[in-house]
Amino acid sequence: MDQLFDLALFNSALRILTPILLAALGGALCARVGLFNVGLEGLMLIGAFTAIVGNHYFENTFLAILFAIVCVCAFSLLFAFLSIHLQANVIVVGIAMNFLALGLTTFSLRTIFHVKGAYYDKEMVGLPKWNIPLIKDIPVVGDIFSGHSPLVYLSIVLAGLLWYYFYRTVNGFRFLAAGSNPLAARTIGIHVRRYQYGAMIACGVLCALAGAQLSLGQVTMFTEGMTSGRGFIALVATMLGQSGPLGVLGASALFGFMDAFSIRLQGVSWPSHFTQMVPYVVTIIAMFFFRDKGFIKDAQNAGSSTR
Amino acid sequence: MHKIGAWLLSLRGPLIAIVIGLLAGSIAILVAGGSIAETYTEMWKGAFGSFYFFTSTLSRATPLILVAMGAAVAFRSGFFNLGAEGQMAFGGLSAALIGLHVPGPGWFVCIVAMLGGIVAGGLWSAMAGYFDVRFRVNLLITTMLLNYIASLFAGYLVTYPFKDKTGAGAMAQTQMLDHAVWLPKLFKGMTVHAGFVIAIAAVVILYVYLARSVKGYEARMLGGNPLFAVYGGVRRTSLMLTTMFASGGLAGLAGAAEVLGSQYRYIDGSFASADYAWTGIMAALLANGNPIGSAVGAFFLAALQTGGMGVELNTDVPLEIGSVIQAVLILFITVKFSWRFMRRKKGAIVDGSAV
Repeated sequence: MDQLFDLALFNSALRILTPILLAALGGALCARVGLFNVGLEGLMLIGAFTAIVGNHYFENTFLAILFAIVCVCAFSLLFAFLSIHLQANVIVVGIAMNFLALGLTTFSLRTIFHVKGAYYDKEMVGLPKWNIPLIKDIPVVGDIFSGHSPLVYLSIVLAGLLWYYFYRTVNGFRFLAAGSNPLAARTIGIHVRRYQYGAMIACGVLCALAGAQLSLGQVTMFTEGMTSGRGFIALVATMLGQSGPLGVLGASALFGFMDAFSIRLQGVSWPSHFTQMVPYVVTIIAMFFFRDKGFIKDAQNAGSSTR
Repeated sequence: MHKIGAWLLSLRGPLIAIVIGLLAGSIAILVAGGSIAETYTEMWKGAFGSFYFFTSTLSRATPLILVAMGAAVAFRSGFFNLGAEGQMAFGGLSAALIGLHVPGPGWFVCIVAMLGGIVAGGLWSAMAGYFDVRFRVNLLITTMLLNYIASLFAGYLVTYPFKDKTGAGAMAQTQMLDHAVWLPKLFKGMTVHAGFVIAIAAVVILYVYLARSVKGYEARMLGGNPLFAVYGGVRRTSLMLTTMFASGGLAGLAGAAEVLGSQYRYIDGSFASADYAWTGIMAALLANGNPIGSAVGAFFLAALQTGGMGVELNTDVPLEIGSVIQAVLILFITVKFSWRFMRRKKGAIVDGSAV
């Protein structure tokens, strides 16, 4: 068992959880205003690709991330416009967004870089690895928490900030109100749509960061469909965490750890299929405890308030 | 006359979506440095250019139609079944295992394998339905999560216990099925197989069920207005379980037909990489769950895909042009729902009646 559990495992778990956490926070924002965002996977993929494109043209990681944020926000705005203004079915738009992202990134990979499958350039510089001065000297904590890209730390800080926003600020309270009962929120003068657009844009920023962490964080490359289901895991983390920032953080940490663990198991040639299943099984079990309101309630809600 | 006018009007949304999709495709072609006319000609040729290409479009459409029917039957009854991928995987794997291990004459084993596929997919899907009616666990989310569990479990089975150890490759797949068990091809040398006939039969049966049968009427009522349906005495629980079984069963049949008709073995991840499940679900959503519309949608999406392959072969434009057009089209086709929605709202204001 010694070779299965060590501090490096927690270190890599932290790295793996970052993109999931960032996207899941975006998903939580959307879920809280009544937009079930199935398109996290696609937005993340666009983020990963545009971060590499930005890195290729600007040769600067900061500008690359900025470029990714702008691009992903354009797509999340399209998502928002279709689902909020034109009232298209959110789930259909989300699934279509995933298709679009996969097709568009693969297509652009071929047209911009003239390669198929993956783009890698050893000239490219990825995100820096930070060692936080004081923390890195603490024995156990230092081993886990040092040597990560800035985005890893940012993601955890963002989870805390989002918690503060939701539960400790007036604006955040209105945000939650706009989602939990749009009709009531509108009667007291809250611009529900404004909050929905805000949530989608913030989700775009978060997904761009998640994608950038994937393509610039550990390895500096882009491969076709490199998100490989992380967006959906993020969606699951959103649901498991009940769309609360700290719950989402916990769920992402669990998934990150299980993922790191299953990579370990591959090393000792165990079937990793079952460890990969854990996030999904855990979520289903958790859903037995956090029950949904029944369909009658749903139907009544759908009748009483239109978005 | 009025009916034809309404019908034409209902086509307006999809047509605009197709135009936007093709426009987006044109932009992508220009960016890739190709010629628009040439690319679209090649795309048309790739999908319908010759009898061979036409039948390969039909062959790709086969699983899509079956999945779309599965999604449509659930969708019309008001349930979102997003679990086609897992149901397809289990259906395909069961068919492969039955085809390998059940003794008997070829045609018999083939039928049993297909039934096995239906049962495997159906039970997996009905389980999600049971969770919803009994424990109120959201159906949409469970079906989506069960995808991963099914795909991973099927992956485990073909990586370890049922792995093909005869071949030299280390692929995670079952052994090749015996010739006698294969679904026959419809034309010699063409890829389209008898599964296509089954798919068309499924479309007809589903159409008759939804439009002409009492149960189908109840299902549509439940989808249209659940409160009214329950008030009117529709038994939601039993209807949901049977609907979910049928929905998953059709997805399972899609997997079984794909295994028995074209791959002849279950290969880990082959359904997921071809995106049969999600494309089929999209086809059903495009037509708002109408069986015939969904089948046409599935055929159209299949044509975009095979057309993309033609583009790849004969021009410098990558084959993903098909996916780009498809995705943009789907993005904008959903807008159609909202137009209908807005019109209904306006109408309600004008004549003052409650719809």
